[in-house]
Amino acid sequence: MTMIKGHTVLKILGSIVISVVVLAAAGCIAFAPSAKEPGYEFVKAWGEKGSGPGQFSDPTGIAVANGEVFVADSRNGRIQVFDLDGNFKRQFGRPGKDPGELGRPMNLTVHDGELYVPEYFNDRIQVFGPDGTSKRIIGSSGSGPGQFSAPGGVAVGQNGKLYVADFYGQRVQELKPDGAFIRQWGTTGRTSHEVGSFYYPTDVALDHKGNIYMADGYGNRIQVFDAHGNFLRKWGGPLARGIWGPFNGWFKTVTSIAFGPEGNLFAADFYNDRVQKFTPDGTFLTSFGRKGVGPGQFDHTIAVAIAQDGTVFVADFLNNRIQKWWPKR
Amino acid sequence: MNFRTFTQRIQRMAIALSLVLVATSVLAAPATYRLHVDGLACPFCAYGIEKKLNAIEGVELLETNIKEGTVIVTMKDGAALDKATAKKAVKEAGFTLNGFERVAPGDGQRDGAHKQ
Repeated sequence: MTMIKGHTVLKILGSIVISVVVLAAAGCIAFAPSAKEPGYEFVKAWGEKGSGPGQFSDPTGIAVANGEVFVADSRNGRIQVFDLDGNFKRQFGRPGKDPGELGRPMNLTVHDGELYVPEYFNDRIQVFGPDGTSKRIIGSSGSGPGQFSAPGGVAVGQNGKLYVADFYGQRVQELKPDGAFIRQWGTTGRTSHEVGSFYYPTDVALDHKGNIYMADGYGNRIQVFDAHGNFLRKWGGPLARGIWGPFNGWFKTVTSIAFGPEGNLFAADFYNDRVQKFTPDGTFLTSFGRKGVGPGQFDHTIAVAIAQDGTVFVADFLNNRIQKWWPKR
Repeated sequence: MNFRTFTQRIQRMAIALSLVLVATSVLAAPATYRLHVDGLACPFCAYGIEKKLNAIEGVELLETNIKEGTVIVTMKDGAALDKATAKKAVKEAGFTLNGFERVAPGDGQRDGAHKQ
């Protein structure tokens, strides 16, 4: 009798375990859409570890504008500029705190011909002319309005307003062009997976309507707000509540976001060694990349930028190189 | 005292003197520590730990090995780092200190380490 009861209990437990596994698998499939585009093909890569021209020590940010690729060569404390084929053109900056110097430059943005550089160590946004002249500095260290604690990314609106991902501040700040505080999303210094809160935000991007897309880095999701600050949507894993994973539409630390010419959003999915592409409403379109050191492989994708013709440039962090990809036709 | 005994005494004194010199040179060298932290692959994390550790008084040099998940901290002459201070800095960066050990100067400088 006891043996029969024990056998029955084991069978019930086994059924429960199988059911849970099946439900979990079904859940993953339900939250993992299939690709809706042909994808991208690898074109070329350039760079290696070092401090010479065309070499990198932690390429951590990238931007494309006017036929040039700007790379935040973070540990070398400089910006390197290349043509669209990866030929070195010029560089500026050196490690330090003075104007013109850089303390770990992160995700880059070009607006109206000026390069906006968030500096993780110096807690400021430094604005450069295309020739590398330091034009102005916005922000300072701290947790007050308009101050930063390791800014990771910046976006600039048509009106010149700044949107800054304040990594340790756990907030995204909206600032006037001179750096004066307007408002913020998130509670300063407090992590949360609630709507409008962050778990180490890394980057910001704006669409053509002025909607604000925020990369919630370790929150493994993207949150979107309209120009008035109202929440619109979020995505990334089940219910966009911080659960990471390798499936389509999921993230394992999103470190950079950027819009392409057709208005779709690209995201660097760091620990998944890939770039994902979404429509503005969060519909998964396609992805490319896998782990490795060979052509078309990544050792942690950290930053992404898209040229006007749709060419995608990716900072391949631990391989210390930049990769160039084209849409499959 | 015969010649053999005299030679043995000289040898013992020489060994003792060598040990004292070695010990003195080790003690005079800057204190160096190896910190073990998981999840350093992302620079947003590694830079955060470097930033917090750099803010500690007496820190001279940091060497981060992202792939190994270690940070080698070299202090200025006469300065020391205690585990509680290191633990606090790592925690403020959002991580947990998984190991803390004093190492010989120069130890831990392996391929892939970044100096700053």
